[in-house]
Amino acid sequence: MSDQQRMLEEMAGGLFADLGAAATLDSDWGTIKEVALDGLLLGEAQGGFGGSWEDALIVFRLAGYHALALPVAEAAIAAALAGRAAGRGTVAAVAEGSLDQSRFDGVLAGVPWGRGADFVVAPCSKGGAIVLETAEATVVEGANIAGEPRDRLIVTDASMSRIDGDPFALMALARVAQMAGALDAALALAVGYVNERQQFGRSLAKFQAVQQALASFACEAAATNCAAMGAAQAMARGSAPFEIAAAKLRANRATGIGTAIAHQVHGAIGFTEDYTLHPLTRRLWGWRSEFGGDRYWSTVLGGPIVAAGSARFWPDLTALTR
Amino acid sequence: MRSLVAPHVDIGSDPRRRANSWAVPDPAFSRALGAAGLIGMTWPKAFGGHERSPLERYVVLEELLAAGAPVGAHWIADRQTGSLLLRYGQEEEKRRWVPGMAAGEIYSCIGLSEPNAGSDLASVRSTARRDGDGWVIEGQKLWTTNAHHAHVIIALVRSEPGSERNAGLSQFVIPMDAPGVTVRPIIDLTGGHDFNEVFFESVKLPASALVGVEGDGWRQVTAELSLERSGPERYLSSTALLLQLIDHARMHPSETLTALVGRLAAETWTLRLMSASVASKIARGEDPALEATMVKDLGNSFEQAMPELIQAAVEIDPAGPEPLGLVLGHLLQLSPSFSLRGGTREILKGIIARGLGLR
Repeated sequence: MSDQQRMLEEMAGGLFADLGAAATLDSDWGTIKEVALDGLLLGEAQGGFGGSWEDALIVFRLAGYHALALPVAEAAIAAALAGRAAGRGTVAAVAEGSLDQSRFDGVLAGVPWGRGADFVVAPCSKGGAIVLETAEATVVEGANIAGEPRDRLIVTDASMSRIDGDPFALMALARVAQMAGALDAALALAVGYVNERQQFGRSLAKFQAVQQALASFACEAAATNCAAMGAAQAMARGSAPFEIAAAKLRANRATGIGTAIAHQVHGAIGFTEDYTLHPLTRRLWGWRSEFGGDRYWSTVLGGPIVAAGSARFWPDLTALTR
Repeated sequence: MRSLVAPHVDIGSDPRRRANSWAVPDPAFSRALGAAGLIGMTWPKAFGGHERSPLERYVVLEELLAAGAPVGAHWIADRQTGSLLLRYGQEEEKRRWVPGMAAGEIYSCIGLSEPNAGSDLASVRSTARRDGDGWVIEGQKLWTTNAHHAHVIIALVRSEPGSERNAGLSQFVIPMDAPGVTVRPIIDLTGGHDFNEVFFESVKLPASALVGVEGDGWRQVTAELSLERSGPERYLSSTALLLQLIDHARMHPSETLTALVGRLAAETWTLRLMSASVASKIARGEDPALEATMVKDLGNSFEQAMPELIQAAVEIDPAGPEPLGLVLGHLLQLSPSFSLRGGTREILKGIIARGLGLR
């Protein structure tokens, strides 16, 4: 990690720890704008920070670690793809409707914090992506299972432009980074709890069954962080179709194992609204579906491997890293 | 590397030989590899090594395993015995053994487990007793992989009478043809012969046979085990089965199989990143013992789960004759050993838990 990355980590870590799951768009988005984290991936020439995907991994991971209730990743990716510093953008999972050269009629679904967004970047069924002006859209507010805003935007005759890029895959990578952070945070909570909590005259941490469970969790969290790093490094080199698919699958798998263990070792307290585990685990469960679940990414990844045949598997895998 | 390995993993040969290939011995292959400068790659040239970087060596290892090359004869010598001797051994013994190891002609085995010392290694009871300038070894080792091919064993024994647990232990280098050394085969549940019992009956050794510092054996063994835990063999044992699945899925297209290939590829990719990152840390002189343990635990679980996942997804006879079935049946039966060798899953998880600050 470079000195600049360390500073970024310190700044974002401190800020997100303060804001956390209680943050709201209305009261706290200004703070994000002040430190220009929404311009993290936007080129300097366009008024952004000019950060790499390795920088983005640091910030998005911390957003996940602190269960930050603000669309930092969405805004940063939308701004970078659209090449815009002004206004707040976000990324839709799906766009359905009719489009001609410059106008769009239809529905945007699964839009994180779509309410009040100035523009939305959406994947285009014919490849590439579109940028839509959405300040005038009709918003049907919704939420994922963790309560994070996931809106439907109904757009009539909206101004539209076509751009290159794969917003769906980039958001999947952002979710992987957030999941890596959330898993580490849930692990830290669980380790802290079992060291404190006394039962049968000793701390839960002294029980071998508890130790073994948390060791498994630690392996899953480490695997997810390593996969996130591998995919972010590949993106920083240019593109990461294999790596993003593989990393999202790995993060999804770790989510099942990790959240089950985190709750199990916490006992009933972890199941309460007041305790801080659920903002992490409910997000993890929600993110597992968002921007591609297992079925989607496993066929995206497996298809070309099967088509290429076994003789290409290892040479292609090793060619991914320089 | 790929063209050197290819003739030895001919697709005409039994497809099962490509599975778990670091347990498959082939002295002719080991000699060819030694002649090509691909054993003892990081060792000093003065001892037949090639002074290459640990990462170059790592790439060679993963290429060999991914291809399913029969590296079993020399594997232990290359992975740990040669390095251990170079680090702790006396000059005379280094000269005697290491160049032959680098040539792919001298093979070794590891004398750790005993009848009453499995995961609890500090319970070893074999002894070394002083005899003039030299030593006399008495006792028994168990589950000794490769002892029937090995020329030499490094055994952990109790050199201080009356000592307990991990104190008073020392390592000795013992020629397998020394008078008093007997090897008895143990046949595994697949009918294979991989491990053995090794008996020491008044085996006389010169002073030079002591490896490292007398009484310091425990510390040396702990360092040796981290070499044993960090390699790519800890997640590639079932790769031959994944390759068979890919070809089967190509002939019988289905979304289920494509998705399974995708999931297994994702896991392989992640484990390769993790394993290579451990190798990089070792190359930088760090000791990533905790990370290495995690890679082994995840890797073993993965290579162990793969046969079951494939058996559930494909209707095929695991007794053969189709290659996918043959490899599946073979690995299914071998797979219990994956989370036993090199430290059981429970021991590994205990190490990880300690690293997390539990206990």
